[in-house]
Amino acid sequence: MVTVELYGVPRLRAGASSVEVPAGKLASILHALASALPGLSPDIIRDGRLSEHALVAIDGREVVADPERVIADGATLVLISAAAGG
Amino acid sequence: MRGNFGRILLVELRGDRVAVEHVPLAPQVYRAFVGGVGLGAYLLWRFAPPGVDPLAPAAPLVYAFSPLLGTPLTTTAKFAVLCKSPLTGRISDGLSSSRFAIAAKRLGVDAIVVRGALDRLSWLHLDEDPAACRAVPCPAWAGLSAHELSDMASKQGLFRHVSAVGPAGERQVRYATISNDGRHAGRGGAGAVLGAKRVKAISVRGAAVAGVADAAGVQARARDLAARSAGAATEKYRALGTAANLETFDRLRILPRRNFQTVSIGQAAARRLAPEGLARAAEHVRESCAGCTIGCDHRYGGTRVEYETQFALGPLVDVDDPSRLLAAAGACDALGLDTISVGGTLAFAMECAERGLVDWPLRFGDDIVPWLGAIARREGLGDLLAEGTRRVAAAVGHGSERFACHVKGLELPGYEPRAMQTFALGLCVASRGADHNRSGAYQADLQPGVDRYRADVARAPARVIEAEDHAALLDSLILCKFLRGAIREPWREGAELLTMVTGLSQGEGDLRRVARRIAAVRHAFNVREGWTLAEDRLPDRFFDEALEDGASLRRADVAAMVDAYHAARGHVPHGGPDERLRRELELDAWLTDTPPLQAPASLG
Repeated sequence: MVTVELYGVPRLRAGASSVEVPAGKLASILHALASALPGLSPDIIRDGRLSEHALVAIDGREVVADPERVIADGATLVLISAAAGG
Repeated sequence: MRGNFGRILLVELRGDRVAVEHVPLAPQVYRAFVGGVGLGAYLLWRFAPPGVDPLAPAAPLVYAFSPLLGTPLTTTAKFAVLCKSPLTGRISDGLSSSRFAIAAKRLGVDAIVVRGALDRLSWLHLDEDPAACRAVPCPAWAGLSAHELSDMASKQGLFRHVSAVGPAGERQVRYATISNDGRHAGRGGAGAVLGAKRVKAISVRGAAVAGVADAAGVQARARDLAARSAGAATEKYRALGTAANLETFDRLRILPRRNFQTVSIGQAAARRLAPEGLARAAEHVRESCAGCTIGCDHRYGGTRVEYETQFALGPLVDVDDPSRLLAAAGACDALGLDTISVGGTLAFAMECAERGLVDWPLRFGDDIVPWLGAIARREGLGDLLAEGTRRVAAAVGHGSERFACHVKGLELPGYEPRAMQTFALGLCVASRGADHNRSGAYQADLQPGVDRYRADVARAPARVIEAEDHAALLDSLILCKFLRGAIREPWREGAELLTMVTGLSQGEGDLRRVARRIAAVRHAFNVREGWTLAEDRLPDRFFDEALEDGASLRRADVAAMVDAYHAARGHVPHGGPDERLRRELELDAWLTDTPPLQAPASLG
């Protein structure tokens, strides 16, 4: 399983701060996430892809976008708002 | 040309007298610099005597408006304030929203340049009718916050919109702000410059309208932009505010704590300081700047909280109690203190004390509100702390410069450069010192395919330049940066807006050259004021002390990025534009050595 932690607008939209989904390619994880947390569609996850309004990073370190990228079992993904300024 | 008036107001102060003069500007100036920080940088170059003491009467303070100001376009009720910074000795440009911006442009000018000084604390009234401009001594207003002043003046019917300094500006704290209807032009100490001129407040009265060339086009675009500003791209600002960054940055391990010693305060503390935690500590309301349809202004117990304030008055000084943080933020607003610089200076002083380098009664986690008052009034140790981190480090000595977290004298914003190495370059080369607003290079570090823990010498300079130029575009038009996610093609749309408003046809390529010209003039100003390559650097801490996960910067990498940045910008090694850049941007026409205009004849 992969743990997805949610922050900022994604957490607000989802109404959850963390969820577990099956490991696999990023595309399948985003599909599973959208199914588990419908509030993320369509502004955060759209057609199985992350929208331009959000970012996802493996363990908060490496921002990934390639839908074919395999996310290993046991990994943590951090889902955040794309706008970082303050 | 519409959108501009083609002239500025030159205000000269001397003794108890005010003289004003309208100075025409050629249309080419607007084509070359647009407005806002661009126009302001040009005027600062023209009006500041080389080598001037930033707090001397001869030092100018520039209020620069923009062509979009006064139109129905969302987020455009802003202006720029520029000066030679008393904190850094380099260029300083701050932006502020407010109804004061709209009122001030109705003076019928595109900028106000204030020079000279009065002999007593005074209220400066500027009027569309030059004969009605005056300075009124106001000794009873000494020590008032800008908010108290505004309330009092409003009740007495003196003025409605005001640009004013708090106690910190009066006492020339080097990082004092100028407050404009409650919004601050914050960084670099413009408030100290106004305070040195003994101006407590500036009020304005006028009814001039610059108009727009294509009124129907502007109206249609205003509706479209307002609709986009209410979409998903700005939801973070609207729903949570930038305060939502703190918990996210803690998770990303880029949240500086304890004077940049570590990068996390832990999940429980981060949630206490997050918007949900702040709302539990104090009543939450959301407001908007003048003429803005985003509404990012989140207030808790009446105090506006942005991420940078939250970081600097919270984790940086190791405060994790929301009530203490809100009290400190409210005090900074009232006193007129730049929250980043005062938090950075206190954090540095706390570390000096904890290391035993000084015997000051300051420790991480202390309630800082009493210190804020002491700094603003320059009482006791507050007098030294009012000088900022760089000067405090020089006074402390004992190698404390190693962990004095500033660039060019400006304290660092809330992003850990060891874990954001593109932004590390942005911090080094930013013209006003360690800065996150004139270069949004932190965005580049949070993109797919970017290893933010590695200095990418080949690609980082171009990323930083693009971020700087994008910011220069928005800051000269002026449009709020929080709108950037809703503007997919900023250069094209910026050119369209400018053409619709002014009637002067400008394309994307023209605006890209404008942005580069603004960067060149800022750099040239700094070179003229003594800049050397040696000051484009971060403190030793970021190279010699690795974070818990091993991240650190390598001196050779950062030096290589800085060199590559300047080469890509077209700067010669000792500073200034190379021959090609001078030709391409016609810099010789703008960076002339023409002496600044003399005082109006009426001053004698």
